[in-house]
Amino acid sequence: MPSLVSDYLPLLIFVALAGVIAVVLLAAPFALAFKNPDPEKLSAYECGFNPFDDARMKFDVRFYLVSLLFIVFDLEVAFLFPWAVSFHRVGLAGFWSMMAFLGVLTIGFVYEWRKGALEWD
Amino acid sequence: MVGLGQYLVVGAILFTLGVAGIVLNRKNVIVILMSVELILLAVNVNLVAFSTFSGDLTGQVFALFVLTVAAAEAAIGLAILVTHFRVKGSIEVEDLNAMKG
Amino acid sequence: MMPTFFPLASLAPELLIALAALGLLLLGAWRGERAAWIVAEAAIAALGIAAVMLVMRKGGVGARTFFHGAFVDDAFARFMQALSLVGGAVSLLLSFDWMRRRGIGAFEYPVLVLLATLGMMVLAAAGDLIALYVGLELMSLALYVAAAFDRDDGRATEAGLKYFMLGALSSGMLLYGASLIYGFAGSTAFDDIARAAQGHVSLGLAFGVAFLLAGLAFKISAAPFHMWTPDVYEGAPTPVTAFFASAPKMAAMAALVRVTTTAFPGAAADWRQIVVFVSILSMAIGGFGALGQRNFKRLMAYSSIGHMGFALVGLAAGSQAGVQGVLVYMAIYLAMTLGTFAAILLMRRGGAYVESIDDLAGLSKTDPATATFLTLLMFSLAGVPPLAGFFAKYYVFTAAIQAGLFSLATVGVLLSVVSAVYYLRIVKLMWFDEPKAAFDAGARAPRWTLALATAVVGLFFLLPAPLVDAALAAARALLPA
Repeated sequence: MPSLVSDYLPLLIFVALAGVIAVVLLAAPFALAFKNPDPEKLSAYECGFNPFDDARMKFDVRFYLVSLLFIVFDLEVAFLFPWAVSFHRVGLAGFWSMMAFLGVLTIGFVYEWRKGALEWD
Repeated sequence: MVGLGQYLVVGAILFTLGVAGIVLNRKNVIVILMSVELILLAVNVNLVAFSTFSGDLTGQVFALFVLTVAAAEAAIGLAILVTHFRVKGSIEVEDLNAMKG
Repeated sequence: MMPTFFPLASLAPELLIALAALGLLLLGAWRGERAAWIVAEAAIAALGIAAVMLVMRKGGVGARTFFHGAFVDDAFARFMQALSLVGGAVSLLLSFDWMRRRGIGAFEYPVLVLLATLGMMVLAAAGDLIALYVGLELMSLALYVAAAFDRDDGRATEAGLKYFMLGALSSGMLLYGASLIYGFAGSTAFDDIARAAQGHVSLGLAFGVAFLLAGLAFKISAAPFHMWTPDVYEGAPTPVTAFFASAPKMAAMAALVRVTTTAFPGAAADWRQIVVFVSILSMAIGGFGALGQRNFKRLMAYSSIGHMGFALVGLAAGSQAGVQGVLVYMAIYLAMTLGTFAAILLMRRGGAYVESIDDLAGLSKTDPATATFLTLLMFSLAGVPPLAGFFAKYYVFTAAIQAGLFSLATVGVLLSVVSAVYYLRIVKLMWFDEPKAAFDAGARAPRWTLALATAVVGLFFLLPAPLVDAALAAARALLPA
């Protein structure tokens, strides 16, 4: 354990410093600030109006759909990076394996396109 | 120096948090989806740590597979969730009670 | 170095299923719902052809491995793959009539069945933890969607959601176990793990095996990881439940048997005690849990939990005879469960499907043929000789006794008596209770499936050799002793 502490001593000091500063900044106003509340100062400020509705509004489910379709295709591409880096070593079998994989992805893409999943309305 | 043991402890803590999130959660199904992701990422921490410390690349390849499958799993989970919400209008865990016995 | 060729010919059944799934998806995307029946029929044809290919190859080729040992083509893999294909094809056939009546003209369901079956084929042939995981997930992801397939029915979507949540948890446990095994054995290949796990088993490896077995036990719905089964079986559309109860169990059991016998022969003492525990608990929960059930699908869920417990008795023996017993048991269970679900699909009154066992009252008077078939299936599920269900239990219990597991065999026989109670209650309902209104005229596919399954189960004792010999060859591929 001592080696762990000495290896990360700068980080430890940094984290401790960040903590101290944060606590000081949070605590200082209670001690130092000049307090003189009135109703206008305490009301929620939104361009002079009261807020119209709850900030936790519901999202359209179509946002989910788009993000779902995005994340699947986004992450499948993770296989392309190791393949590209070792391209000259994987040979013809490696090349065609990746082409087959991309073919499968394309078929999935064609399916979602034909099903109209990419259209907003 | 941070050794293999420390990584495994982090992985074990994350895994336990994920399992606890699924088992103890009584509120929202979305939280369960997040817990599932936590479990899979705990596994990835394990795999990459083992892979690095043993100098064997297989673990990192495995981690890559886990990542992509996790994305597909999350997508399917959300899709089923949306379908269920459309029919029932609720995603509270307590409301999953159409069948008993 | 990378392989310079692709073993196309040896992987023909798997490639056929994969290409069929992709091609039919494209066809469906272009033609829309008009193509639904063509897609379904083509999917059944693909599953059938792949099964024939596997059976034809039986004698010709011995064990071979591909992709650096990730994929094993041996008698064991072919046996379980063929069972999965039969389960997929028959349950797809059963879905035709149901889909038509529910007005679901979607072509996606056959494609999902094809993809799930492809996952099962990979799972049954996996010789590496990565291949095992990918196969398992391909199967599971397709199954989650299939459970929620009737998406206007709140019970089906709830079943899908529950199955997904607990399935994801179990995949996570399996993966965590796999990561520990990889770390402490230094490899993901089963034969390398077997070399590393000889003699003394480290604590990390023991934890890994326990997590891996927990994940796989979930997939075959063995206790204590069975809690999803009753709800999912009840909520999912009946043809989908028939699929769940048949094909995935074959593949997951194959993976369980292969992992334990080929990756951890050196740690047999460790995993055998887990298997014994899971087996006894499953038999007990399957037996006692079903006693109060009125819903037939829910009852079949408990029945399947119990049957997985009985099949695991063979694995607990850990011998060649034990594995042979597991394989015979799974094959006979497949026939019994498909037949029973075909009968459930015949339970339709006034245009609506009914699921309560009380609806079967007096069936012998209104439909004697169906009642006779279902009675034989129930007797077989209960293990009454000379039906196939008796022989299934006979093989696993004999293996357990040979391996010295006398107490396990005794407990198993006692619990099979408990489970006989509820099967016989259904028989009593059908033959001795006041008849209700007759069921609507059944469709051809479930009728034929019921008759055929009953014939297989009832006449097994006349010609047991093909199945028993094939199972022996498959068991020999894993355990040469």
